[in-house]
Amino acid sequence: MADLGNVLLYSLFPLSIYTTLVALAAGITKRQGLLVAARRGAYSVFAVTTLSVLSLVYLLVTSDFSIEYVASNTNQSLPLFYKIVALWAGHNGSLLLWTWIITIFVGIVAYQNRHKNNDLMPYVIFVMAGTTVFFSVLNVFISNPFDTLYQDLGNTLQEFAVQDGRGLNPLLQHPAMIIHPPVLFIGYVGTVVPFAFAIAALITGKLGAGWIHTTRRWALTTWGFLAAGIVLGGKWAYVELGWGGYWAWDPVENASLLPWLTATAYLHSVMIQERKGMLKVWNMALVIATYLLAVFGTFLTRSGIVSSVHAFANSGLGPAFAVFLTTATLFSVGLLLYRRKDLKPDEEMQSLVSRESGFLFNNLLFLLATIAVLWGTLFPVISELFTGDQITVGPPWFNNIMIPIGLALLLLTGVGPLLAWRHTSTETLKRSFGWPILGSFIFVLVLLGFGVNDGWAIGSFAISFFVTWTIVVEFIKGAGVRRKNSGENFFKALYMLSRKNTRRYGGYIIHLAIVLMFMGFTGNAFNSETRAEVGEGDTFTLDSYSFKTLAINSAETENYSSQSLELEMSKKGKVVDTLHPERRYYFASEQPSTEVDIYSTMREDIYIVLSGASNDGEKVIVQVYRNPFVKFVWIGAWLLVFGTLFAMVPNLRESKAGGQA
Amino acid sequence: MNNRIKFIIGSVVIILAVIVLAVQGMQEDTSMSYSKTVSELKLLGDRARAMNLKISGDLKKGSIVRNNMDLDFVITEGNSELQIHYIGSDPIPDTFNNEMDAEVVVSGKLVDGGVFNAERIQAKCASKYEADYSSN
Repeated sequence: MADLGNVLLYSLFPLSIYTTLVALAAGITKRQGLLVAARRGAYSVFAVTTLSVLSLVYLLVTSDFSIEYVASNTNQSLPLFYKIVALWAGHNGSLLLWTWIITIFVGIVAYQNRHKNNDLMPYVIFVMAGTTVFFSVLNVFISNPFDTLYQDLGNTLQEFAVQDGRGLNPLLQHPAMIIHPPVLFIGYVGTVVPFAFAIAALITGKLGAGWIHTTRRWALTTWGFLAAGIVLGGKWAYVELGWGGYWAWDPVENASLLPWLTATAYLHSVMIQERKGMLKVWNMALVIATYLLAVFGTFLTRSGIVSSVHAFANSGLGPAFAVFLTTATLFSVGLLLYRRKDLKPDEEMQSLVSRESGFLFNNLLFLLATIAVLWGTLFPVISELFTGDQITVGPPWFNNIMIPIGLALLLLTGVGPLLAWRHTSTETLKRSFGWPILGSFIFVLVLLGFGVNDGWAIGSFAISFFVTWTIVVEFIKGAGVRRKNSGENFFKALYMLSRKNTRRYGGYIIHLAIVLMFMGFTGNAFNSETRAEVGEGDTFTLDSYSFKTLAINSAETENYSSQSLELEMSKKGKVVDTLHPERRYYFASEQPSTEVDIYSTMREDIYIVLSGASNDGEKVIVQVYRNPFVKFVWIGAWLLVFGTLFAMVPNLRESKAGGQA
Repeated sequence: MNNRIKFIIGSVVIILAVIVLAVQGMQEDTSMSYSKTVSELKLLGDRARAMNLKISGDLKKGSIVRNNMDLDFVITEGNSELQIHYIGSDPIPDTFNNEMDAEVVVSGKLVDGGVFNAERIQAKCASKYEADYSSN
């Protein structure tokens, strides 16, 4: 099976090269037959990769420990489910997952467009298959998951199998970690589709709205998956890493944020192009940047160029990535410059107070956020280049820049959608914003009355309040008008209103989701924590909570040994819950793992870590964090996914003739 | 005034504001740290005293001494050695022990007597596993 998998994987390399070249030939000669051949090539690329993935899954499930990847990431007693997901637990396997997702997308795009976009498709397949060639090189020649274990016998190498594997990293044995990589990868890889169409449009000179329409759903899907993937990563870090937070501006986290920032900018600025024919070059640039940043993120994670807690160790992929990234950058930027004269705007901007300028400032802020995160992430490399010292910038630096930018963007979320295209009169401004602004001021006074004294937090809450108000008013006003005209009841009117313009109202839902997430982020301003060394019967407190140790237990399973704590938590004298933080030691991987216990309410999370035993072994050390509003982040993320799906639903058309519509 | 100019002025103000934030953040002592290996640290001499440092080296086997909440150990690189004294608040699990083969990164400051006061310890085991023993 390993040989079969390897043969299939090896065949991906020539097949993807063949597909790339045939697609290019189809584009140059404009011969239909060649396009058909390229399409078949795309399908076959998908087929061999899928079979290769299935072979690896078979090897993982049957625990073939002659394969290095299987031996390093699984062991006999690992539950079947984890054996399967070990496919993306290690570097080589997760890289194969990457390649597989590209080939799935190549297949889907080729099939979706088999009867349309005949002028663009040759180059679309050319770009996507070309990207596949690069990843197949990595998978086949540098990081092959089918590599067997070798043993050095003097002057010959001999294959051998180990008795049992090293097991799956316990940190990865968590539901959020299991879906985080595929979701994030779909987001990363999805950026190739709008990119491929943009490049095809640049090459063919068919720069109309065609490529934008074809890729609208792809862009939105990619964006939603990236967002969900980033939040899942945060959720995983929160429940699994045991340091009480979900985001630390780690290089790997930043790598996933970068393409999301430019993709978000694109989703906004593309509306100006559709509506006004402006910003054509800029939109192309954003699509190109998003793709390059997605590849760059993978490079950052896997090359070991910047050290990070959860990066893969240096895997020898660096030079290959550098070559590919440089080539792709030169190629796409060159094309864009070559076509820039054909991308003249149809209109000029008319007023500073208009929807257009709202979008422009939105884009400027997203661009600055991208540059800032990129700068901070690469600072160790940049500083070493210029000063010889490798300097790392920490979370305070990122927060110092990103909090103001984030709040400015949040404010635009409330303001932008209410500004009219072209120009908004002072009268309209007063009507739209008078009450929300007044309401927000009163809200600030209430916060001050409650003793909230953190300036950024007050600003964030006030802006959130303002934005929520403006969005809710949009829904209510729209539904009210519709109710008057159609006689439907309010909720039916609300539903019909949203269904008739899913993009607009889906967008509002996403904006509300972002508000919820910002509330969650702002909770960080009010965190508190304590730590205690306790034995059975001991008590300690954190703010209004008190804790009592009921018991310290030890247990052992096939997979790990564990120590856990029964901790009774009371608030103002009343028992709330009993919590069970635990720490484990996994035998196969010889790794420790903390299993935190979280008591979660809308108001706050009580996050409890059993971090170790005291030296005499009699007592244990407990770390307790009180994190307000964390739940808003997760709820916001769910709402964001819902809003994204909603925005993709086709608009409802009402037939005027009545009848079956 | 022309709209284009208004927009450009607005943009320039925003860009300058972000640059100010970036530069200001770089001056904050707490947010910057220098990454060095043990031998590079020795070359720095007295200059090292003023810096926030991240030092990487191999854990010297058998050098870990635990005494109540105190933790001391030595990291090495080639012929250079560095004595580490842990002053962080997060407890270091007992899996950080004298049996492990690990590359260690410590964050903190160099103090008198050439001892390094570490606020944070990260260990990278010989296998692929990496552990971060303390936050921030």
